[in-house]
Amino acid sequence: MSAVLASQDRPQARWAGSRDALHSEWTKLRTITGPGLALIAAIALTAALGAIAANAAGCQARGCQIDPAKVSLTGIYLGQAIVAIVAVTVVGGEYSTGMIRLTLTAVPRRWQVLAAKAAVVSAATLAAGAVAVLGSLLAGRLLLYGHGFTPAHGYEPLSLGTAAVLRAAAGSVLYLVLIALLGLGIATAIRDTATSIGVALGLLYLFPIITSFVADPHWQRHMDQIGPMTAGLYIQATTNLRSLPLTPWQGLGVLAAWAAGALLAGGVMLSLRDA
Amino acid sequence: MEATIEVTGLRKRFGSTLALDGMTFLVAPGQVTGFVGPNGAGKSTTMRVILGLDKADAGSALIGGQPYASLRRPLSHVGSLLDAAALQPSRSARNHLLWLAHSQGLSAKRADEVIERAGLASAARRRAGGYSLGMRQRLGIAAALLGDPPVLMFDEPFNGMDPEGIVWMRGFLKALAAQGRAVLVSSHLMSELEDTADHLVVVGRGRVIADAGVADLIAAASADRVTVRTTARGDAMTALARAGAEVAATGPDVLTVSNLTPESIVGLLSENAIPFTELSAHRASLEEAYMELTRDSVEFRAEAAR
Amino acid sequence: MSVITPYRTELSSSRDGFAQLLRAEWTKFRTVRGWVIGTVVGALIIVGLGVLTASKSMCSIATVTRQNPNPVFHACPAPATGPGGEWVTDSFYFVRQPLAGNGGLTVRITSLTGLYSTHGGLPSGGNLLAGMTRGVQPWSKAGIIIKASTRRGSAYAAMMVTGSHGVRMQWNFTHDVAGTAGKVSAASPRWLRLTRSGDVISGYDSADGRHWTLVGRAVLAGLPATAQAGLFAATPGYTVNSTSLGGTSSVGGPALATATFDRVSRQGTWPAGRWTGQDIQAPVDSALPRSVQGFTQGRGRFTVSGSGDIAPADSASQVEHTLGGAFAGLIAMVVIGVMFVTAEYRRGLIRTTLTASPRRGRVLAAKAIVLAAVTFVAGLVAAAITIPISEHLLRANGNPISPLSAATLLRVTAGTAALLAVGAVLAVAVGTLLRRSAAAVTAVIAGVVLPYLLAVISGVLPAGAEEWLVRVTPAAGFAVQQGAPAYHQVVATYTPGTGYFPLAPWAGFAVLCAWAAVLVTLAAFRLRRSDA
Repeated sequence: MSAVLASQDRPQARWAGSRDALHSEWTKLRTITGPGLALIAAIALTAALGAIAANAAGCQARGCQIDPAKVSLTGIYLGQAIVAIVAVTVVGGEYSTGMIRLTLTAVPRRWQVLAAKAAVVSAATLAAGAVAVLGSLLAGRLLLYGHGFTPAHGYEPLSLGTAAVLRAAAGSVLYLVLIALLGLGIATAIRDTATSIGVALGLLYLFPIITSFVADPHWQRHMDQIGPMTAGLYIQATTNLRSLPLTPWQGLGVLAAWAAGALLAGGVMLSLRDA
Repeated sequence: MEATIEVTGLRKRFGSTLALDGMTFLVAPGQVTGFVGPNGAGKSTTMRVILGLDKADAGSALIGGQPYASLRRPLSHVGSLLDAAALQPSRSARNHLLWLAHSQGLSAKRADEVIERAGLASAARRRAGGYSLGMRQRLGIAAALLGDPPVLMFDEPFNGMDPEGIVWMRGFLKALAAQGRAVLVSSHLMSELEDTADHLVVVGRGRVIADAGVADLIAAASADRVTVRTTARGDAMTALARAGAEVAATGPDVLTVSNLTPESIVGLLSENAIPFTELSAHRASLEEAYMELTRDSVEFRAEAAR
Repeated sequence: MSVITPYRTELSSSRDGFAQLLRAEWTKFRTVRGWVIGTVVGALIIVGLGVLTASKSMCSIATVTRQNPNPVFHACPAPATGPGGEWVTDSFYFVRQPLAGNGGLTVRITSLTGLYSTHGGLPSGGNLLAGMTRGVQPWSKAGIIIKASTRRGSAYAAMMVTGSHGVRMQWNFTHDVAGTAGKVSAASPRWLRLTRSGDVISGYDSADGRHWTLVGRAVLAGLPATAQAGLFAATPGYTVNSTSLGGTSSVGGPALATATFDRVSRQGTWPAGRWTGQDIQAPVDSALPRSVQGFTQGRGRFTVSGSGDIAPADSASQVEHTLGGAFAGLIAMVVIGVMFVTAEYRRGLIRTTLTASPRRGRVLAAKAIVLAAVTFVAGLVAAAITIPISEHLLRANGNPISPLSAATLLRVTAGTAALLAVGAVLAVAVGTLLRRSAAAVTAVIAGVVLPYLLAVISGVLPAGAEEWLVRVTPAAGFAVQQGAPAYHQVVATYTPGTGYFPLAPWAGFAVLCAWAAVLVTLAAFRLRRSDA
């Protein structure tokens, strides 16, 4: 019939089609302006909020209990919301327009669709997150020095050469990627964009708010340990590590477990349900 | 690989509604197969099951002998248009076809080819949200042709087309079938299918009612009637009835005759010297044939306007 | 050709007013199963989180006695309550004599010094004061006091000098009036006078003993005929509040204040004989033990050392903390509110709506009112269920429940429901403005819940930024949930994280309403001007 058909006769490996699925998801993401603008906004707002926090911090003498890297990276609270929404709309938008049927016709193996979306969203978030984090740290480095975070008070200027700061920076970027994957999983399971955003943000905000109202320190620690946002943000800590309920990487691991669970739930719902 | 769609014994229930109740038919290549039935007969559900979007409770649907899920580069096996509005409004038509092409390992060049073929070249870079109904249909058809598949399925492709578009579509579908592809078209517009389809699958209440060529269906329907206009009504009625016809007087000087060919009627009237001013043969239309077939299967019937 | 008569409807004429529009919008809402279920779920989340919070809040005191070395756990004892019903700390060293009937007391204070510990614990045995730093706390207080009795929480009026707030008159724990400013020292002593006349106690201060200024007049209803009057000294502990990861930490330790009095003169009926020194102290207190408090008297001069405080206690009531799940219910109602509007735009249903009701402003108003009413009822039911259950659970877990007046409880309950309702109206407005559900939900959550989150988790933002957020953004509305007021004469962590908001409850709610009003106006403008 045509040359296109003849090429099908090549022996097919199990992963065949993944590359094409990936390519099509990337094309989908880059051909609408929404996600790109949103990620740029995320970068700007993250850096801006970090700069505001750094500007308002102050250290008068030795022994301030303030963590300069964490203060600079305060903007993550805003950036994560935007990243979660972008991830949610990548799936939710297809369901609301009905395009999901077309997607599943083009790529019938549903786990391939989810994996491709996850990969593309992760890559985009990684890029945007890296810029946002670097911008925040730069702003923090410049501003904090003038607010008393000097070597005289025991603070070295923020630098990626320090192992702790590097961990905080790289970990924050990974944090954003995991938040995006969490949003993707939730949206695949729930399918409605607005509801998914509510559930994702509600889940993230739930643990820290409730913790502040529970009067029992033991349970406060417990809730901080299992909450996706509270545990995940331990990765930003560069001082006072012994007071944390978990090590920074353990905390990020908790968030990774949440994201994996969401993706699993989404994948199961995607495979079992009618399109 | 054969260009066929083979549906066997499909059964599916949505909650309390039985949508498919043993649907079985075969779509063969080289002809346009019409898929017709009243609203709620299970046409769209059948198409979704064929494409692996919905899971049937029982039965199988095979494309060229394989289930959809096992096809590699499925758009090169089956092209389909289910819902022309399934578009991201902020994406341009070309980019829409581009991601589809990429999902099959095809290039942008192929996307441009099908755009050209569907007649959308001038509007390709505009956002799809601003498209009219007819343009969206054309875009959907372009998408179906992207992989140059031997099997094509269209769900209500005539919807929203203006007369020029309908003429184009008709010729298009016939040309596709003439190339040896299997083409399945579901529609409500009997008049269109009458000229376009060669074979019909008539469904109702989730199962197949009739599965035959269009000419056979029309012939099988009763009422091959001939209308005779004559002033000597009584004599004509006697003469024709004696010859075994069913005659009805449907007007002051009009008779409707069944069971006799127009030639024999002309012969009878001439023999008996009965004058007549008009004789017209009335072929049953596909619409009439269809209405008769599906009379018992219609689920939703509106009352005539009072 | 026959004449066709025009078609006349057989339907009886019906009305087309705002009431009908409301009914139509209510029907639209209640016939979408998902929205109704979502509302119920939102209410259940509030109740569930409240129950969770209450059941996980334990308070217990372990006591160890010589007879039984195993710790025995009791429920936390309730603090004393003052004349106004609020929780108070009433702990000081009292050098007293009974005063029968009207009279007065005048003293001169020549010094106020103190010691404090920076590391919390005290060295066991030996010199308890070894290793303590010299220095006086901002609210260290010493002076004269007339008190109804030595029962903790009884009515009183006191004139005092403080560590860094000058001379002050305080009475009945919640009242505080400033007198002469400046620190007290031998070179600049302070003269203090209290006179009782019936139920009225007047406080005066002077720099030289001759020219007296009236500082304040306290009316203590029901003051017994014979009251205890005398000298006192007290100081709250040393605290440094620092914000760090995920919490505010208080570091500090107990403190001791020592004041020197002389030129003591008394008016009225006083007994002859010695002054009685007494340590007014709660059984479990952070004040220093009895052994270091006390007084000495010689050559007309008194030196009094005391520890503790006479002030309202931090009574961030746990009961209204259990309504902390309100934010989650708010998120649910925001999602529903946004969908209530954007669902119409998605499928083009808005055209049907606006064809049926061309007056667009009314359509928006009807949607807002219906959603606000539904949300208010749901929130009220949820809060009304949560509070009694939580109170029961908190008590069962050994927490003392601080007394909330009926008015405050009503305000907290109805205020939470109102907060949810106005939040839902905001969601409708933003949904109409943006027309896309994802953007609208995000915008409302980021504007209302995110500032609340950032303010509540201490340690994220510096204090100034926190306060600004909760004053200016719609999150100010959460102030309506505040149970107890903040007192400036108490050093405590008054942050949203502990339940204290910078704006007064209804002021904060008004800020939220202002935001809603502005956004609804913008939405109406957009709805009227734009194509459907």
